[in-house]
Amino acid sequence: MSDIKTKKRKTWKNPLAVWGAKGGNYEVATPEWKNPHQIWKDTKAFKVPTNKVGRFHYEYKSSNHGEKIWNRLRWWPTRRTILWTKGVYNRKSLKPEKIRKDKRPIFWFFSLLFLAIVPFILPDGYKNSLLTAGGIFGIYASINLCWTLVIGTAGIFSLATYAIVGLSAFLTTWLSINLGLPWWMLPMIGMIVGLAFGIIIALPALRLDGFYYGLLTLGLNELCRVFITTSHAFGAASGGLYGADTFINENWAPMTQTLVQYYSGFALLIAALFLFRFVDGKRLGRILKLAPEKKEAFAEASGVNYKRARVTVFLISSIALGFIGGFYAAYYRGSAFDIFSFHTVIMGLAMITIGGIGRADGAVAGTLIIVIIDRVLVELGPYRYIIIGFLMMFIILFLKNGLFGIRKQFRDWRDKKKGEARSSRLERGGEMLPEQATETDNKDEIYRRRYDKMQREFLKTLICDEVIEEHKQKPLGQHSEALERICYYFRRGAMNDKYVVKCEVPFKKYKIMALSGVRGRSPRLVEDKIYETVEAAYHGLFLRRIQDLMEA
Amino acid sequence: MAEIKVFGYTDKLSVKPGDKIDFHVSADGTKTANAQLVRLIHGDEHPNGPGYNDEAVDCELNGVWNVKKQFTQLGSFLKVEDPNNHLAIDGDFTVFGYINPSTPHTGAHQWIFCRWNNKTNEGYGIGINKDGHLELVVGDGKEVDYLVSELPMVKKIWYFVAATFNYKTKEATLYQEGVVNRYNSLLGKVVPYDYRSHTKTTFRFKQKNNPKTPFIIAGAIDNHELRGDFVSGTFAGKVDRHGVCNKVLSKDELDQMKLGEMPPKESIVAYWDTTEGYNENGISNTVIDIGPNKLNSIGYNHPVRAMTGWNWSGKNDCFRLAPKEYGGIDFHPDSITDAKWDVTNSLIIPDNLKSGAYAMRLKAGTNGSQLSEEYIVFFVRAKVPKAKICFLFPTASYLAYANEKLSFEAQIIQPMTGQPPTITDIDVEQYKNPEFGLSTYDSYADGGGVCFTSYRRPVVNMRPKYRTSGMGITWQFPADLSIIGWLEHHYKDEYEILTDEDVHSEGLEALKPYNCVISGTHPEYTSEKMLDAFEDYVAEGGRFIYMGGNGFYWVVGHYENEPWCLEVRKLDSGMRAWAAKPGEHYMQTTGERGGLWRMRGRAPQKFTAVGFIAEGFDTAETYRKMPDAWHRTVSWITEGVEGEIFGDHGLAYGGAAGIELDRYDLSLGTPPHTKIVASSGGHSDNYVLVTEELLYAYAGLVGSLDYRIRADMTYFTAPNEGAVFCTGSIGYGQSLPVNNFQNNTSTILKNVVNAFSKEKKLPGGLWTLEEKQWK
Repeated sequence: MSDIKTKKRKTWKNPLAVWGAKGGNYEVATPEWKNPHQIWKDTKAFKVPTNKVGRFHYEYKSSNHGEKIWNRLRWWPTRRTILWTKGVYNRKSLKPEKIRKDKRPIFWFFSLLFLAIVPFILPDGYKNSLLTAGGIFGIYASINLCWTLVIGTAGIFSLATYAIVGLSAFLTTWLSINLGLPWWMLPMIGMIVGLAFGIIIALPALRLDGFYYGLLTLGLNELCRVFITTSHAFGAASGGLYGADTFINENWAPMTQTLVQYYSGFALLIAALFLFRFVDGKRLGRILKLAPEKKEAFAEASGVNYKRARVTVFLISSIALGFIGGFYAAYYRGSAFDIFSFHTVIMGLAMITIGGIGRADGAVAGTLIIVIIDRVLVELGPYRYIIIGFLMMFIILFLKNGLFGIRKQFRDWRDKKKGEARSSRLERGGEMLPEQATETDNKDEIYRRRYDKMQREFLKTLICDEVIEEHKQKPLGQHSEALERICYYFRRGAMNDKYVVKCEVPFKKYKIMALSGVRGRSPRLVEDKIYETVEAAYHGLFLRRIQDLMEA
Repeated sequence: MAEIKVFGYTDKLSVKPGDKIDFHVSADGTKTANAQLVRLIHGDEHPNGPGYNDEAVDCELNGVWNVKKQFTQLGSFLKVEDPNNHLAIDGDFTVFGYINPSTPHTGAHQWIFCRWNNKTNEGYGIGINKDGHLELVVGDGKEVDYLVSELPMVKKIWYFVAATFNYKTKEATLYQEGVVNRYNSLLGKVVPYDYRSHTKTTFRFKQKNNPKTPFIIAGAIDNHELRGDFVSGTFAGKVDRHGVCNKVLSKDELDQMKLGEMPPKESIVAYWDTTEGYNENGISNTVIDIGPNKLNSIGYNHPVRAMTGWNWSGKNDCFRLAPKEYGGIDFHPDSITDAKWDVTNSLIIPDNLKSGAYAMRLKAGTNGSQLSEEYIVFFVRAKVPKAKICFLFPTASYLAYANEKLSFEAQIIQPMTGQPPTITDIDVEQYKNPEFGLSTYDSYADGGGVCFTSYRRPVVNMRPKYRTSGMGITWQFPADLSIIGWLEHHYKDEYEILTDEDVHSEGLEALKPYNCVISGTHPEYTSEKMLDAFEDYVAEGGRFIYMGGNGFYWVVGHYENEPWCLEVRKLDSGMRAWAAKPGEHYMQTTGERGGLWRMRGRAPQKFTAVGFIAEGFDTAETYRKMPDAWHRTVSWITEGVEGEIFGDHGLAYGGAAGIELDRYDLSLGTPPHTKIVASSGGHSDNYVLVTEELLYAYAGLVGSLDYRIRADMTYFTAPNEGAVFCTGSIGYGQSLPVNNFQNNTSTILKNVVNAFSKEKKLPGGLWTLEEKQWK
């Protein structure tokens, strides 16, 4: 208000003075009259460049069924409809259109279909090596899906996944060799091994956190490796234990053997996907999603028994991993010590991090990428590991949650950029720009903002010591035009954050609050200052409003 | 321990010795409260007056009361009386009806026609899901299966909807078609919405019917361990004719029903014809089933009837003209007209209790917070009237303002009052808790105006000491106590009281024993029976003092057996917080046209000589004698007043002429021989001309520019020595207590009351010749 001193002072005469109206202020000092319309004449365009807005409707969206009956097909036996399709009215045209809220089944369907028919379309020269890699991919993807359940869904940072698979594979192979168990019993026994081992390593998970638990399980993995490689019973001398019964008949043609390998790996993958879906997407998974990392205490206080859910998921995936171990033994007739090696653990970690931890599609795609680099691009030799290393570095440095997190990451980034761009263009309390207006359904609000801005620009020119003094002398009643215009504006303001006086003790103690503007929600206290009369509170409230006006 | 809060209400407002009155109390944070019966004498704590004053009265109920937390059912709905469980259909069914959702996108599930239990998930029914889609739901007590419509519902559009379920094949279908015509809905034909939606699916299981579940329209039964059964999932919007069939109706049949046809007769289990049972005196709270089982449904919390239906043609504006076009019933989830709390204590009014305003004062805890002290107000009239003076508490107007929330919600309140509101803990408490309900100055959350108000719930602004938050002064009941205080001071034991309710139920008989009847400061809401009684009273020689402004303004009505619940429809013009929608201007309780009495040919001027002209809340002014004040027919009124100006004091903005002002107007029926004794002037520009005076709006309809804006103090004589005196301003009553009831406005009122209360002829009556003075 420093420039006010130079403003010309005038006197306002109260039209009620002739009546001898109560309350006085028959003549008050007031700022020079200004034309409230001038601001409309002076404002000719937005202060920032304006661009055309609106997005082209490039994606085909089916319309509604109208007169016809729409048969809502469901995923038997659930009540879920296909692709979670919903009808909506387009906000801009009001025309009906469909949105599919869950498009993942489409991608899964085509990806799995591709995997199912790929043996028939591969060129003959590569067929054998690619299908062999495909079988490996199936098994590893299944292991990684179970691992994702542990790390992602249950949030237990276990590195003992391959230890369970390996132990199960070695034990079942040993049993098959020594007791002559048939191949189909191996996965069953593997499940028991997996459960037993799972119980042992689940217990420390309740006490140890993240990193320490990771170290512990890595240690266990190493113990297993040392035990197996030094144990004669498990073929310490031969680099692995082989000779288990298998479902792949050696008398078959080599291509038939390869195909059976490939499709059995594929079948295992499908089974693992179902397991993932039924653990992560059902009750257990939902419970755990309520208790994300670092918010466990809140979830527990809300009555979520997340610990129990965690252990359950851990045990389920341990059983599944044991199964895979038995399957592995029946697949390869045994197992190499390699499965316990640190290299395997690191490769597995690479697989699940590249795709994105906690997601089925991430685990599968990550496995595919690593298997292709590791098993298909064999000619690259040791450079493969450098590529994998760089890939992991890149993903850890630049992506928030692997490849499948890119979509969300991109959208967040775009929204952030959008927000930055807008805030750099918007003036505080200014009118809406085209990009905001298009998001506002009630177009009246757009004009209200314009009108409000004009009014405020004008009213700011009226604020001076004289009007503040006039208000202080007489908060209610007939005011000079300048003060009255300011008061009219304040009184008409929207209800949210509108100031009111709070009476603590009648005629003795008042405070200032701000309304919520939402039915049922209390007003909030805006300051602790106590006013001894209601008139003082009116004026305190007026000064706050002036401050808000000048700041906007 | 929770904050201590005590609130209560009585089942009756007006009682006389020998009557029984029930107290209903709910408390938080305490199991006991101290009760003390008090007679209320003055209710304004303003330091310029005598302050709050009451008189403790001996009473058997004084002492410690056991109190508990009580629950309130919110939301209006219809519950079907079905003792033989005809609607527990274990077989094929079709549920159908016309609906017009007000807020389909609330994010909560709304039930429309259902026999559903929200607690156990049993039954069947249709509703609107949280995304705004119509939904058919069946439940077997373990799981819920549902079918949703293709497109979401558009608000304020009439639809015909139906759901069928085949018990054998478990095939469910949902039928949704818009029935928009040029008048009935918010939008017309030019909008490219396609309202149609037809879906089907096969459910996994069938409905299981619990014999205890009631069929409810606009809600579903629920249960809570502390609260017991209640209704949740209430619906905002209208329904029209609806019903249930025990077979799967074909699409062709539904297409016919969409056009207004009845379903095949043999399949009907219930068909609620919402247009049945209308007569020219209104519509009851019961919706009639014209099907074979006569399963009528009863309205809770007053679903609003007499509303336009799905087929409203726009030609008729009243349900009496075209009942078949008025099948609409409007439901609001935040409606409450009877809290139905358990009775905490009862009192037989003792014979020695003097007529007056009483309160059962309840105090709990020791911190003395505003919420731990409750005054449950009621009125005691004389069993056999003895006094000559009667003060008439305008209880209908108290009800109209009961628990108003203008300060919190109405953007117009600050421009109107010219000041920021001054709120208290009590205001915040009643704003936070929807169980307190709304006033006729509020709107439901769905935007509809509140047309029902009730005293069977705590009414926080009908208590002593309360200052209305928007205006920072006492208003209605606590303001009227200023007149009681004045009567107590000058006419102790010479006056008795009545309430609007008594005048409505007994008519002229209630008023007849008294020579002089004094109104409250703001008797704004009046039923036809009340107005008739006032008019007859004056015409037959009664003397009436209209002590306020903006009186006898709105038409109100209530069911004769429910005096606690008042109906108001605000329309056409007048200073109104909401406007009834086109075609919905007639009251369901009486069949009368709602709105202003002025619009029905009974402007207040015809009875009192003055009527509402302006209101303002920033200042109040004085009266100046008008030249007629010197005429001997009325000069006795201002006897003892020095000078020409009076009323330069008051507890409301420091003047007697203020708040709401009434003006003399021959064109509106002011009796032609009325004299203006005094008028106020110099009102600020916050005093704006009322809307019903406006034909064209133009700049300058404010206090400093429009001569009409003033309070007129008038007097006229009526047949049989009757007479009416008006102050023309609400603020007059609050000016009386200043200087311990000794002041010039008090003097004037005393002159009038003295003259009016005597049996003998009125003073000045003989000075009727033309003036022939020559000096």
